[in-house]
Amino acid sequence: MSEKRIAEHPILGEYQKGELVHFTFDGKDVTGFEGESIAAALKAAGVMVHRYTAKEHKPRGIFCAIGRCTDCVMIVNGEPNVRTCITPLVEGMVVETQYGVETKEAWEASHNEKT
Amino acid sequence: MAKIIRTAHTEPFVEKPDDDMIICRCEEITKGEIRRAVYDGMSTMNEVKRYLRSGMGLCQGQTCQRLVQNIIAAEMKMKPTEVGMIQGRSPVRPVEIGIFSNNKTDVKEE
Amino acid sequence: MKRHELIVIGAGPAGLSAAIEAKKSGMDVIVFDENSRPGGQLFKQIHKFFGSKEHHAKERGFKIGESLLAEAEELGVKVELNATVMGIYENKEVTVKMNGEVDHFKADKIIIATGAAENMIPFKGWNIPGVIGAGAAQAMMNLQGVKPGSKILMVGSGNVGLVVSFQLLQAGCEVAAVIDAAPRVGGYGVHAAKVARTGVPFYLSHTVIEAKGTDHVSGAVIAEVDSHFQPIPGTEKELDVDTICIAVGLSPMSQLASNAKCDMALIPQKGGNVALLSEYGETNIKGIYCAGDVAGIEEASSAMIQGRSVASHVCYSLGYITEEEFNTKYDSYQEALGKLRMGMFAPANKGRNDFTVTDEGYPISKNLLAKGYMTEEELENFPAYNYKKAGVHPIIECTQNIPCNPCQDACPKKCIKVGENITMLPQIDEEQGCIGCGLCVASCSGQAIFLMDETSDPDGVLISFPYEFLPLPEVGDKGTALSRSGAPVCEAVITDVKKTKVMDKTAVVTMRVPHEFKNSARFYKPV
Repeated sequence: MSEKRIAEHPILGEYQKGELVHFTFDGKDVTGFEGESIAAALKAAGVMVHRYTAKEHKPRGIFCAIGRCTDCVMIVNGEPNVRTCITPLVEGMVVETQYGVETKEAWEASHNEKT
Repeated sequence: MAKIIRTAHTEPFVEKPDDDMIICRCEEITKGEIRRAVYDGMSTMNEVKRYLRSGMGLCQGQTCQRLVQNIIAAEMKMKPTEVGMIQGRSPVRPVEIGIFSNNKTDVKEE
Repeated sequence: MKRHELIVIGAGPAGLSAAIEAKKSGMDVIVFDENSRPGGQLFKQIHKFFGSKEHHAKERGFKIGESLLAEAEELGVKVELNATVMGIYENKEVTVKMNGEVDHFKADKIIIATGAAENMIPFKGWNIPGVIGAGAAQAMMNLQGVKPGSKILMVGSGNVGLVVSFQLLQAGCEVAAVIDAAPRVGGYGVHAAKVARTGVPFYLSHTVIEAKGTDHVSGAVIAEVDSHFQPIPGTEKELDVDTICIAVGLSPMSQLASNAKCDMALIPQKGGNVALLSEYGETNIKGIYCAGDVAGIEEASSAMIQGRSVASHVCYSLGYITEEEFNTKYDSYQEALGKLRMGMFAPANKGRNDFTVTDEGYPISKNLLAKGYMTEEELENFPAYNYKKAGVHPIIECTQNIPCNPCQDACPKKCIKVGENITMLPQIDEEQGCIGCGLCVASCSGQAIFLMDETSDPDGVLISFPYEFLPLPEVGDKGTALSRSGAPVCEAVITDVKKTKVMDKTAVVTMRVPHEFKNSARFYKPV
C-alpha cells in the first residue's frame, strides 16, 4: 500500500474501501479503490498535477477537495472538466491531464497550428 | 473600439511588484488586472466581474470574491463592506449548456 | 413543476435538522444537496464537539452526522442528492440541476442552508499544487484515508486551523508550523495547547509570502508582519514543507439568498455577506429562511439548533403546530443556542481581542495567545490547576470561557463543577474523592484535563494525559516526557493505559516522571 495512505487511524480505525481497481492516468496503469475519489487515488499514487491552465499554462492540483473550486478537473473517459475530487473511481477509467480544456495531444496540435 | 474611461486620472497607473499574482484562479485574472480595472473606472464587484470575467469561471467566484473585494477596497481607499458584494445570479453553480437545454419548463404543475 | 410545502437547500447539519423538525410535524418536505452524500461537512469532523449534552458535546462530529442521518431516514425525510439548486425565482420557484436536466419546483416555504465556503489568502505561488484549503486536508485524510502531504505548514490559528493541525498529526503527517498574521491565536486555547504539546511551533504575527516550487510545493517562505499586516523585510524564513494548508476563516455561501433578491448585508461578525433575518430566521421575503453557516458563521452544534428553530417557525406558519407549541419549542431552542453563544468566543465577540481576564477574574494567559501553550506561572492563577491532595486527582488546564461542560457530567464522583453557565471554568470540588478513573480526561473535548498522583508511586509522580495517536504506548514502554511546548523534559515510563468504549478512542495514558517534572511534563513521545 502506498505510504501516502493512512494504514490505521487512531479515531477512524481502518478505512472502509471498495475493491482494488485498475485505471489509467495519462496511459499509465494505476490502481486505486473503487468508490474513492479519483483525486484520492491519484494523490495516493503520487500525482500532484491534474491540469495545466488555459491562459498561462500553469499546473494545478487539488485545492478544495469538496467540488467547489474546480481546480482539480481532468479529462475522464474523454469528458473534460470532471471534478476529480468528488467523482468516484470506477474500474477501467481513463483519466488524463487536462491542458486548457483539451487533452495534451489536442492542445499541442492546436498550439502548433497557431505558431 | 475605444475603452470607456470613466475617471479622469492625472496620475499614471502605478504598477506594483505583486501585480502578477493570480487572484481569480479559474479565469486567471491577476491582481494587477483588477487594480487596473479600478483605475479604468470600475468601482463595484459586478462591474469588475463583467469587465474582467473574474468570478465567472468554473467555480463561479467561490474562491476569489472576497479577494477581489479587498483589492477594490484598497484601490478605492474604502472598507470592503463599502464595496459591497456581487449580485447572486442563477445559475449559482456552473451548469453544462446541454443540461440547460433539458429544461422541464413546459411541465404543468403536478 | 412539482410542489412541496417546504424545500430545504443543503443537507448539512442545519438543513437536515430543519427537515427532521418539519417532517416530524407531518409536513411535506424535500431536501436538495449538490453532493453525493448528505451530512455536509460533519463527516470530516473527527474531534469531540464542545457544548453540553443537549448540543452533543463530547461526541465526534461524524458520529453526530450518523445519528442525524439515521433520524432523517427513520422519519422518511426525502433527500435528493447530486441535486444542485441553480436559482430561486419569484413565488418561490426553485430550479434544480439533477439527473442531467433542469427541474422546477415550487414551495410554500424555503429554508436556505447552504453552509459556508472557505476564505483564501493569495500569495506568490498559491496556485501551485500542494497549496490546499483546510477542508481539502480534512476531506483527504478523514474521508479518503489519504495523507494530504508529509510536511505541512498550517496558515491560520482559528479553530479550523488548530483542529485540522491536530488531525494532520493524527493522520501521521508532520506539521512544520502553525502561523497566523494576527498577533494572537484565534481559536480555543485548549485546541492550540494540544497541538503545541506535540512540538508544533506557533508563529503569530507571521504570514506566508511564497510557495516555492513549480509542479508542486517544495517549500514555504514565511515572514513576520507589522501591525498593518505587512511583511517586515529581512524576517523571511523558509520552511521545508510539501504542503501549505490554508485555514483563514469561512464565508457564508449566500448566493442563493442574494439571487432570490433578499435584503443582504456584509456583517463582519457573521463572517461576510448574509441575508438580513428576523428573530425567527426569515428573510425580508416572506417564506424564505436561512439557517446555519449561511446565516452567519458558527459551529455545527449551533447550526443544528438553528435548523430546528427555523423549521419550527415554518411549522407554525403553515399551521402544523399551534402558537403555544411553537413558543415552547422556540424558547427551548433559543435557550440552547444562547448557551453556546456565551463566553469570550461568542459570535458577538468576533474580532474582539481586549479580554484580559476570564469571567472569574483570572488573568488570561498571554503565552497561550502568543505561542499556543501556557507557562507554569500563568497556570498558577487557576485554582483547578493548583488543586493538590494526596493520591490521584485531576488538574485542569482549561483557562478560557468556552461553552463546554462534559467534564462535569463525566465524573462519577461529581468532583468537577462547571455550573449552569457552561462557559464558566471547571472547578474541582474538594469534598469529593477522585478515584482516578480518567473519564474526565477522556471526556474533555479540549484535552485539557490531566490526572496527577504524587504519592502512590515511590519512584516518581504519575501523570495521566489524553492520547489520540497510534501506536498506543504500552505499559512498561520508556520514552520522553514532553512539556506543554513539546520540548523534551525527562525520561518517562508508561505505567497504565486505559482505553474503554465510553472514552471513545481517547486513551488515558499514565506516565511516571521524576518529582521535579510534575508541573512541566504533559505529553509523551515514544523513543
